Amino acid sequence: MPQEEAVEEVDGDVRADPDKPWITIVWNDPINLMSYVTHVFMTVFSYPKPKAEKLMLDVHHRGKAVVSSGTRERMELDVHTLHGYGLWATLQQQS
Amino acid sequence: MRLSHRLGRLRLHLEGDERDVLSVLLDELDSVLAADPDPDDAVQQRLFPSAYRDDEDAAEEYRALTETSLRTLRDERIAACRADLANGAVFDLADAGLGQRWIQVLNDLRLALGTRLGVSEADSGELDETAPDAQPRALYLWLTEVQDLMVHALMGKSS
Repeated sequence: MPQEEAVEEVDGDVRADPDKPWITIVWNDPINLMSYVTHVFMTVFSYPKPKAEKLMLDVHHRGKAVVSSGTRERMELDVHTLHGYGLWATLQQQS
Repeated sequence: MRLSHRLGRLRLHLEGDERDVLSVLLDELDSVLAADPDPDDAVQQRLFPSAYRDDEDAAEEYRALTETSLRTLRDERIAACRADLANGAVFDLADAGLGQRWIQVLNDLRLALGTRLGVSEADSGELDETAPDAQPRALYLWLTEVQDLMVHALMGKSS
């Protein structure tokens, strides 16, 4: 769509679609304990224990889970906080 | 190492040699953090992972903005844990700040040691005492045990 191409040219960034939210993903790794990951989700995001456990199990069984979404700036902060806890976290724009 | 629960206070008691081991491990972690950044060092990469999976420019920009503060956070945590060890062999887990920094520092110690050992999902958690790396693996399993115990103790309070 021509209109979309024009926007991309101005931004110089093909991924820049302001309508799509950004997400923080936590990836599975063989070292972080299931109990610890649950605790981190409860502490960092104030998620209740059942939600934190479900996300932890998604990470464990599916290899990753989306743990938060919002602005890019907010997700960069979340990733920074999770890295401080030693979790393997990345951010990206929702596809 | 043992947990005690008296008058509503949960305490972790460490033996003298356990404190010595933790001190040595904290020193080693400190050395990793003080070393020059090395993209080929698996431990550094694990402690400071890329924030963007498919965008190297964004990842570099992010790293430039955040790596120093992440390093400072870890340095301060190590310093506080060293002070805890110097203060004595009994950790009062009712002190939420102490519990938090210890489960985090134990996680960093396990990430460093586990990455060096090449720990994988396939590892059973059982120690093969005849393996050449049996000693560091035993240490890794001990750190795992202590961390899990402390996490459950902290979660027990909050849930």
